[in-house]
Amino acid sequence: MIRYPSFLFVFFIIFVAISLYQIKHSISKKEMEFAKINKDIIQTKSNLHILKAELSYLKRPDRIERIALTKLKMRPVLPIDIWSLEDLVSSKVSKHKEGL
Amino acid sequence: MTFLSFKNKNQGKIQSSNLRKAKLCVCGAFLVLSFVTIGYRSVTLATPVKNGNNLTVTTKNNQLLIKQRKTNRGNIFDRNNNLFATTINVSSLSINPYEVLNTDETISKLKVIFPSIDKKILLKKLNSKKNHVNLIREITPKEYIAILDLGVEGIKVESVNKRIYPNNSLASHVLGNTDIDGIGIAGIEKSFDTTLQMGNDVTLSIHGGIQHILKTTLLKQINKFEAEGGAGIIMDAKTGEIYALASLPDYNANNYKNITDDKLFNRATKGIYELGSTLKLITAAVALESGLFKENEVFDVSKPLKISSRTIKDFHPLNYAINIPEIIVHSSNIGSAKIAEKLGSSIQLKYLKSLGLMDRLSLEIPETGSPLVRTDAKLLTTMTISYGHGIAITPVHLTSTTATIVNGGIRINPTLLIPTSINNNKRIFSKQTSMKMKSIMRLVVSNKYGTAKQAEALGYLVGGKTGTAEKVSKSGGYLKKQNIVAFTAGFPMNDPRFVITVMIDNPKGQKSSSWYRTAGWIAAPVVSEIVTRIAPILGIKPEMNESVVLTKSLLKYKIRGAEL
Repeated sequence: MIRYPSFLFVFFIIFVAISLYQIKHSISKKEMEFAKINKDIIQTKSNLHILKAELSYLKRPDRIERIALTKLKMRPVLPIDIWSLEDLVSSKVSKHKEGL
Repeated sequence: MTFLSFKNKNQGKIQSSNLRKAKLCVCGAFLVLSFVTIGYRSVTLATPVKNGNNLTVTTKNNQLLIKQRKTNRGNIFDRNNNLFATTINVSSLSINPYEVLNTDETISKLKVIFPSIDKKILLKKLNSKKNHVNLIREITPKEYIAILDLGVEGIKVESVNKRIYPNNSLASHVLGNTDIDGIGIAGIEKSFDTTLQMGNDVTLSIHGGIQHILKTTLLKQINKFEAEGGAGIIMDAKTGEIYALASLPDYNANNYKNITDDKLFNRATKGIYELGSTLKLITAAVALESGLFKENEVFDVSKPLKISSRTIKDFHPLNYAINIPEIIVHSSNIGSAKIAEKLGSSIQLKYLKSLGLMDRLSLEIPETGSPLVRTDAKLLTTMTISYGHGIAITPVHLTSTTATIVNGGIRINPTLLIPTSINNNKRIFSKQTSMKMKSIMRLVVSNKYGTAKQAEALGYLVGGKTGTAEKVSKSGGYLKKQNIVAFTAGFPMNDPRFVITVMIDNPKGQKSSSWYRTAGWIAAPVVSEIVTRIAPILGIKPEMNESVVLTKSLLKYKIRGAEL
């Protein structure tokens, strides 16, 4: 009579041991994946950082100026190029009054 | 017998019951222990692995390795979050000489990939007694692949940190540099070494675009007038934030170790110069503030002033008595000396002290200069200091003084960082004095007798003061044919937002300047160009109708010409 529960316990312990091994194994696998993902994150961050530095290098004011002057034929803004909205309205009104 | 057998039976039952209980207890304890173990293991497995910025998770031989990674040095940004300095990982080549089987073969293999490498140095390194010798500090990914392909034995490729400056020479004197181990050795890199070492970023008040404009405009003028160098500063007149600080010649910060001392020297913050008549602004401001002078008090400047062995003369002599605004507009040394005579040495030195012109420049970089001021209280010294001789300061000292004069009289301290608190500095000059000085400074540029007419920038109401001084020779005395020209200015003068100082070292007269080598011809045009270019970037609207502004916020002074 007493043997049945004993067998049950032994069986249960074996089951638990196997389950624990499985869990450990899967967790180890997950840890490996986790480590790989972390490594990838670090690598991506590093690449991103290099790209940012490269972007900064490409955005150098001297380079932008050279491109603006030679390729886009731009020139520095002069005070007479700057108009406020009020100036535009008053100019339109005066032109309207002059019948233009 | 029956009784005994019953007793025995009963005892057997009790024993069997006890045994069962004991078995149950053992099994129960075992079970509990198992579950405790499972629970503990589950918890440990479920706990996430720490992976902060300073930890690296790697795998080696299927084993998880978590090791402390050295934190990358922080970045330096400009005020618009443009990257000015950063650290990247590069591959470095080293070798273990003991693992090299055939030295000649290794050398020939390495020479294929790195043709510029010296064979003798390589041989010396390969014959080294050490088991780790650095070969090349930095290799490209292509070179790395080539090394792998050739299969050179004993070679090790390691990842090392490298400090880079994507903008090359832009603001190189401000940024400074680091040594091979990543320790700050100059500029912001040195001042904020601890902060940067901890991985924290530093944001400067420098504006990349404006820094470029200042540098290129100044460089153009230096080249045009064959000058030795120069310095320029653009500062917020209200907060003291430095938007641009240039010292020329400058250098590519990515190539620091090959730079000559002349290029490394920061002329804007460390170099001290006699900046000549620009200091008349202080004399005039102190005179107006002191209350010792009547409104429209005049000073006879018709004859040179003889004091001890020295004769004080004017560059543009006038044959009548002039008032304080006229002294500044005509830049009269005699007039300035006469003001100083009346003020006296103690008042003069008191104001120089309160403006910070007798103390080492306070700025967030280590390369700062300490002024040289004659404090002998002699009349001649007081007089010469009044027009900028016998006092040597840095261009940044002058910039902050100009800012103090034009911003309402509150002392301005220069800074390379974006301030987090409101300026609670003490007042040096009253608002009234500041208003008078702004009006006079505007006349220096706008009046037909002004010395800085070439600083005029249409619509932006520039005002300032020129200064031309003979260079001090290293052996003492003055170099008659070598000048330091400077111009310090504010704009727009009705409510100055920015102060600009330009200093050019030893320019040579050119045909375009009618062979003059004075500040009005050389430094003033630089400011005009800078203002025209930076004002739209800074959102300063041009004021095309100047008379409206003048009547509103500036005083009117009548300035007389050379002849009455």
